[in-house]
Amino acid sequence: MRKLQAALVVVALMVVAAALSSCGSSGGKEGGTLTGSFASFPELDPNIAYTAEGLTAMYGTYLPLLTYAHADGEEGTEVVPALVENLPEISKDGKTYTMTLRKGLKYSDGAPVKASDFPASIERMLKLNSYGTPFYTDIVGAEEFAETKSGGIPGIEADDQSGKIVIRLTRPRGTFVQELALLYAAVLPAGTPAKNLTADPPPANGPYEIVEVEKGRGWSYTRNPQWEKSNAARIPEVPSGHVDKIDISVVRNSATQVNEIERDKADWMQTNVPADLYNKVKDRYEGTQFRVERPINIYFFWINVTRPPFDDLKVRQAVNYAVDSAALERIYSGALAAAHQVLPEGMPGHEPFNLYPHDMAKAKSLLEEADPPDREITVWTDNESPADEAGAYYANVLEELGFDVTLKTISADVYFQLISNPSTANLDTGWANWFSEYPHPNAYFEPNFSGESIGSTNLSNTDVPKLNEKIAKLGEEPLGSRQEDEYAAMDREVMELAPWVPYGTNTVSTFVSSEIELDDVIFNPIFGQDLTSFQLK
Amino acid sequence: MDGRSPWYLAYRRLRHNRVALGFGALLAAIVVFVVAAPLWADHVAGTGPNATHTTERVEVDGEPREVVNREGEPVGPLWLGAGGKFFLGADGRLGRDEMVRLMYGGRTSLFIGVVAASITVLLATILGLLAGYYGGRIDGLIARALDVVWAFPVTLLGAALGLALATGGLGIGPLQISGESLWIPILIIGVVYTPYVTRPLRGQVLALREKEFVEAAVSQGSGPLRVMFGELLPNLLSTIIVFFAISVANTMLLESMLSFLGVGVQPPNTSWGTMIADGFELITSAPLLTVIPGAMLLLTVLSVNVFADGLRDALDPRAKLRLEAHAGKAEPEGTAI
Repeated sequence: MRKLQAALVVVALMVVAAALSSCGSSGGKEGGTLTGSFASFPELDPNIAYTAEGLTAMYGTYLPLLTYAHADGEEGTEVVPALVENLPEISKDGKTYTMTLRKGLKYSDGAPVKASDFPASIERMLKLNSYGTPFYTDIVGAEEFAETKSGGIPGIEADDQSGKIVIRLTRPRGTFVQELALLYAAVLPAGTPAKNLTADPPPANGPYEIVEVEKGRGWSYTRNPQWEKSNAARIPEVPSGHVDKIDISVVRNSATQVNEIERDKADWMQTNVPADLYNKVKDRYEGTQFRVERPINIYFFWINVTRPPFDDLKVRQAVNYAVDSAALERIYSGALAAAHQVLPEGMPGHEPFNLYPHDMAKAKSLLEEADPPDREITVWTDNESPADEAGAYYANVLEELGFDVTLKTISADVYFQLISNPSTANLDTGWANWFSEYPHPNAYFEPNFSGESIGSTNLSNTDVPKLNEKIAKLGEEPLGSRQEDEYAAMDREVMELAPWVPYGTNTVSTFVSSEIELDDVIFNPIFGQDLTSFQLK
Repeated sequence: MDGRSPWYLAYRRLRHNRVALGFGALLAAIVVFVVAAPLWADHVAGTGPNATHTTERVEVDGEPREVVNREGEPVGPLWLGAGGKFFLGADGRLGRDEMVRLMYGGRTSLFIGVVAASITVLLATILGLLAGYYGGRIDGLIARALDVVWAFPVTLLGAALGLALATGGLGIGPLQISGESLWIPILIIGVVYTPYVTRPLRGQVLALREKEFVEAAVSQGSGPLRVMFGELLPNLLSTIIVFFAISVANTMLLESMLSFLGVGVQPPNTSWGTMIADGFELITSAPLLTVIPGAMLLLTVLSVNVFADGLRDALDPRAKLRLEAHAGKAEPEGTAI
């Protein structure tokens, strides 16, 4: 009898546990339809999508071999297995990655997920000249394939029987695990046409599939019919989602997006709340329907260290002391968290410090010491708010410091093209920001401070041989705690050279209707809001 | 009975047009207002048009107030509460003095309006004289060239040229103009309006060249240049003056449109158009930042237009009769006089 009672208690507990787990932590309901709005229509093809909108739209739809944890903050930067059983085994020389596909996985059309789909997807991405191409050209034969678009990639071996996938690189690449988890490497069925499939997205392997697309106007998701049957239990790292259907419409006016949420006509807006409504929305809804999120990015003023007067370290330090991030926080209407170093918060290796706390008197005295003969400088910025205002503020600070400033405000469409072109005249200093595709410190140092990146992304023209060596060496090593410490030291070393004036991380907002459980909404620092986390009350 | 010159008669007619004179006085007041910008900036506001005060505080009736609060909201109009500082408040998140910028912005808008209109009228006069006097191939060539400009809507052409030149500037031989120079919008606006003034001037030259005084000048051996600039031009002056006044209003409007779109006046310069664009982002929280420069633009354009109307009536009273006849208010030209 006791045994029977114990068994009943165990069964009852299991039923309660199952019910709790299906309802989620907050007790919101399962099912229903989520309605959301985006300000622009993204590419709905995972191998080519590169915008924040595209990443958010397909995080819960297309899975690569690895993925980023469906979690907020630093936890969300962790790479976890998705279609493969474990994280890759990396050979001692750092050039061979071995993984095994999980068995029994299916696409939304019922077709099995096969190991050979992975090389086919990488080939498709290269054929489409995806923005992701540079991340995978260290695979043996990939560079040649990217040029010829034929002949296969000998550096990837895939065995459909065992599910074993072996990737061979031409050189060690410390960031490759993070790159394998990007959407560019999402696995699609072999034979998926090598053309932009936004209008008719390919079969999904994640919890949702895109079912209807009205190009330019919106799209819808339903649950992937194969997910619960075949994939969910095999991929515990990826949540199944709560709502049954998601309808997305494109609403180009963000004030209208806000208005629709306030009137419960939409449940969520992917776009930031616009600046003029930001404080009103924040005051009224923070904590219940509104939350400030901190993605991984850094906003800064670059200083060309090769041109006078900025070839003098003291002048660059003076500029660092002169810029007041408190003023810039106001210029960004509160949507900026002050930062004074290269690596932003949330990035592995980030250890907070501030070498140049705002001190105008110290800035002026340093400039007096340096006494540069050439004080005519050009400040560059783009014409989108608030970059134009940040540039105007910076120009004003430099004038106050004693420079003769010409402010050039350039159309945002051509701004980065223009300032990264070495033949552009008078590239002295200006505004910029940096978002990396994946959370790895190398993605900040190599493009911005390596001599090899001069003429493209290294706007400050920093070229210090010892620093170049360190960047190259660390770039070959997978990220571990020792590497994180070394990147933290590098962060300080770079800021001692003062080639940048970092001033903050641009925060973004999550704004949902009163029908949504705000606490459950996950904001992944790479993919943004996680559609699988939305739950109706 | 003493003979009176046509200019004196025009002055007498204008003096009796109270509405035109009233708006003329308003225009003069606006000009004085913008010309006084440095005085206000130096002696009252104590700041320049581009100086930022983002983290500063200002004393209002003995109480310190943030120029821009932590959420980026600018202080509203303080009128004389801070001794004239931030009279109309701060312009936005940069905390620049709105009143100072309004005055300096007005200088830019009026300067562009007057100079661009001068360019339009100068080009149109030369082209109209050449086309109307010579006729034939020269007329055809000029007409086709103007058709090319005319084929595009003014705003679209202005925006396209502004976008192209705002980044790279303009370089024609030794003439180099940087993208942020005020001369870029001035030249663009001056050129795109030229066909609209050339056509009517050409028509008038066509009519004048058949007159006896032109035949007399030619028969006395006057060359084409002398006839065009010595005989025809003085007879076009009243029309040119009227077109100039109307063009000032149009060029100011186009400047504000281009600046609103970001392809006109470039930062750090300011004009009423850029101020409207800057304020537009805060339209719900600080509507005055858009309304005040917009109202100044409206008043200026209205006063220029009404005054130009009065000027036209004064210089060419038959034109008024023609217009009224067209509207059915008077007898057609020729029967009433």
